[in-house]
Amino acid sequence: MPKLSINGQSYFSDAPPDTPLLWVIREDLQLTGTKYGCGISLCGSCTVHVNGQPVRSCAVQLGEVPDGAVITTIEGLDPADAHPVQKAWIEHEVPQCGYCQSGQIMQAAALLATNPSPTSEEIVQHMNGNICRCATYSRIVGAVQRAAELMKEDSNHG
Amino acid sequence: MAEIKKPEQGVTRRDFLVRSTVIAGAGFFSIGLPGLVTGKEARAAVGGQSFTPSIWFTMTSDGKTTMHIIKAEMGQHIGTGMAQVIAEELEVDWNDVRLDIPLESVENFAIYGLAYTVNSGSITTEFDRLSRAGAAGRIALVEAGAKVLKTRVGNCYAQKSRVIDKVSGRSVTYGEILQKVQIDRKFSYPSDFRKVPLKKRGDYGIVGKSLPSLDVPAKTNGKAKYGIDVFLPNMAYGALVIPRTRYASNVISIDDSEARKIPGFIKAVKIDNALGKCTGWVVAVADRFPTAMKAAKALKVQYDAGPYAKLDSAELLKQYKALAKDEKQSAAWVLEGDVDEGFKGADKVFEVEYTTDMVCHATMEPLNATVQFTNGEWHVHIGTQSTSFARMTLTGYLSKVLDQKPEDLKIFVHNYLLGGGFGGKQDYDDILAAAYCVREVGRPIKLIHTRESNFATSFARTPTYHKLKAGIKNGELLAMNQDIVCGWMGARFGVGKKYGSDWLQLDSVDGKEQDIDQWSIGGSDHWYDVKNHRVRAWNHDATTWAVQASALRTVSNSYNIFVVESFMDEAAHAAGRDPLEFRLSMLNGKGGNRGIPNSGYKPGESSDYYMDRLWISLPWAQDDSWIPYESATVGGALRLANCLRIAAGKAGWGSKRLPPNTGLGIAVTAAEERQSPTWVAGVAEVTVDPKTGQFSINRLTIAMDPGTVVNPQAVDAQIRGSALWGASQIMTERLTLKDGRFEQSNYHQYTPIRLAQTPEIDVTIIASDNHPSGVGEPASTVVAPAVANAIYNAVGARVRHMPIAPEAVLQAMKRRA
Repeated sequence: MPKLSINGQSYFSDAPPDTPLLWVIREDLQLTGTKYGCGISLCGSCTVHVNGQPVRSCAVQLGEVPDGAVITTIEGLDPADAHPVQKAWIEHEVPQCGYCQSGQIMQAAALLATNPSPTSEEIVQHMNGNICRCATYSRIVGAVQRAAELMKEDSNHG
Repeated sequence: MAEIKKPEQGVTRRDFLVRSTVIAGAGFFSIGLPGLVTGKEARAAVGGQSFTPSIWFTMTSDGKTTMHIIKAEMGQHIGTGMAQVIAEELEVDWNDVRLDIPLESVENFAIYGLAYTVNSGSITTEFDRLSRAGAAGRIALVEAGAKVLKTRVGNCYAQKSRVIDKVSGRSVTYGEILQKVQIDRKFSYPSDFRKVPLKKRGDYGIVGKSLPSLDVPAKTNGKAKYGIDVFLPNMAYGALVIPRTRYASNVISIDDSEARKIPGFIKAVKIDNALGKCTGWVVAVADRFPTAMKAAKALKVQYDAGPYAKLDSAELLKQYKALAKDEKQSAAWVLEGDVDEGFKGADKVFEVEYTTDMVCHATMEPLNATVQFTNGEWHVHIGTQSTSFARMTLTGYLSKVLDQKPEDLKIFVHNYLLGGGFGGKQDYDDILAAAYCVREVGRPIKLIHTRESNFATSFARTPTYHKLKAGIKNGELLAMNQDIVCGWMGARFGVGKKYGSDWLQLDSVDGKEQDIDQWSIGGSDHWYDVKNHRVRAWNHDATTWAVQASALRTVSNSYNIFVVESFMDEAAHAAGRDPLEFRLSMLNGKGGNRGIPNSGYKPGESSDYYMDRLWISLPWAQDDSWIPYESATVGGALRLANCLRIAAGKAGWGSKRLPPNTGLGIAVTAAEERQSPTWVAGVAEVTVDPKTGQFSINRLTIAMDPGTVVNPQAVDAQIRGSALWGASQIMTERLTLKDGRFEQSNYHQYTPIRLAQTPEIDVTIIASDNHPSGVGEPASTVVAPAVANAIYNAVGARVRHMPIAPEAVLQAMKRRA
């Protein structure tokens, strides 16, 4: 049985190896913040981090998850749900229906982890794979920029 | 099988209501009628028509107030908005406010009335009632507080969850009041209720503030619960086999030999198509959802393809054009002056055709439903725009399928957050199918649509065909005729005499036998002063059923505003006038376009067909027919003109120096309906590549006057989101029918707007003291025509079809050359 490390906890899954990771996460482990949107990597609602990289969990089969891979879902992004991206998302009141927002936040957090000062073009390019049907887009770019500021403030205050 | 806890009615029945109760130091105070089961609490009944404040909120002696939100939360932050309205008059500290969602049941329906979220109508229809509920609560608390403070009521006022004696300065919190005294105050409904004094708009401290929406934090950390996030013990999963046609195919046989080889597969269930629902549906049931999906693909189903098997989009258009030639089958919706005389007297007449394609909601959360049968009760877990209709539809279906009397069925509908609504979550086939699977399999079922089955079973916006004719004399629009052919969605909801009711239905104004589905024609009844104006409508019934026509954000406005506002530009150019100046000259607020002044509404004498019917009467109230609000139409077209001046000015109409192949286009709307207008103007700045016909929207400028603004930042969010919804519609969204099926299956073929296509948006909200109107939809309608008009102004290409394909731009450019 494959062992999964998700949000710092170990899980064993008895799902068939061709099961998309998405369904293991959200239906078997009931970490429902990770959402199903399209099933073919077109919308980004199911985005999680695998070893820090943003990954569409609908397109990764359970059997393909590398041994020892560190998986992070929205529930594990920050122990106090206070990651700078989450704070910025609340401050800018980004979510409307909210369904795609876990994926948006995971995608944005992955950007800032490698690029702490993205330009707006870099933000657009990085976030373009995530569909928001409520079209909260005009607040997303500003919120990512705000999150970048918050991260700098955090690191300055040490 | 584990059981879910019985709803607590009968378990904790207590006498609350206008009265509060002190039990072991804990007081409760609630506003509304009793006997209702809310999310986690129960209330007992007092009966009669006393205003016994728990429909709207419940206050407890710990100082917390829970607002019971009957409207669906699908992104508008409606719970926060409704709570703000109550809190304003209740004088409750905003930090003490909580929200919950009432459970739908026969018992609760008798108290709350119809739970239905639609037409951007929540704040418009509830504002007054919620204000009065809050004010009544405050009055009762101030009276009780005076008792506690041993002073005269007249000396006391309420502020931030305290009653304060202005003479002595002493105060007591609402929580303390509930602990110390029993409140027993009744307001008769509606007569006392109607007389409750309300604050002046200028004295508002909570309404009008950009308070953070209460649903937002949980939407950033995975804690928000949508219908798809429900788990029940021993639950199995269902996945739909994509039916042969969108509607009316029949299952002949199912071969499950391959599916049976898949471990975890449980059963292929042919869904009973009683009431014409779930036609051609087979659901694969399995222990896991991925297994159910796999099994659904492995099932070999034979169909009788039914009456729509050959139907496609091109054929529909052909039939619409033929139908439009048969005037006998039309019914007039607008008839002012004499258009034929107008055309005769005109010095310039032109006629054009417009068409719009189907689109669908494509909510990010695919449709799903979880159903359980336990202890003789059916429990439905879902995110839906109407828990009431969900319960009623399931009642009708099960009574047929199970051969039981409707009154013997115990059905409860638990509502959750909606991962997008847009009009797409007011059908209940998924509930019926899940319930049928529960019956067949004997376990709770979570039925989830794959994106593919969600598209295949979309409730589409009808395709439309329009013929418009203008008569221009001396540069004025003397006469205008619009003929509209489409599938009338109302028929599916039983709207119309022909379909069993006259609910939301209008008689034709030209004496024809036909009545008219306003949800399919509305928006054509614009606010321009055109002396001779006629709109005629034809219903193409096969469309309604074949594509399961439904409401999509702003309903018929979403195509009619595109058509009317594109056409107005054409008329302006034909008249040799500037499209802004041309529009302003006709938005003069004369005659029927002046709006209805507040004094125009008299209790029981309303001629307001729309609000009158949308207003949801409380079933227990004996006389609930009075129009409980001011008019949203005050000021009429003059408010629309004001929006237009502001948007045009901010966008630099006539003054901004634009790059080559770039144009500005303007449009206005008063969606949702004539009686519930939200005044909106939009300007689009668009650049066209003349070689390819590709266009990009550089900037949108939107000005909206929704009257009283409850939460400016939430309104701003709705304007931005709906403007981009409109941009998406004109750019790329397109659903087509072939062989009775939709051709698009996922987001590679059906392509909502993405971040990279998002223009800059300049939003102006014009707040006033007028009655609030809805903000969740209207701005979406102005963008499509503004873009079309901008394309014309950029390169001279008039495209009379939505969406606008680059090839169509090129063709139109060639036509002009």
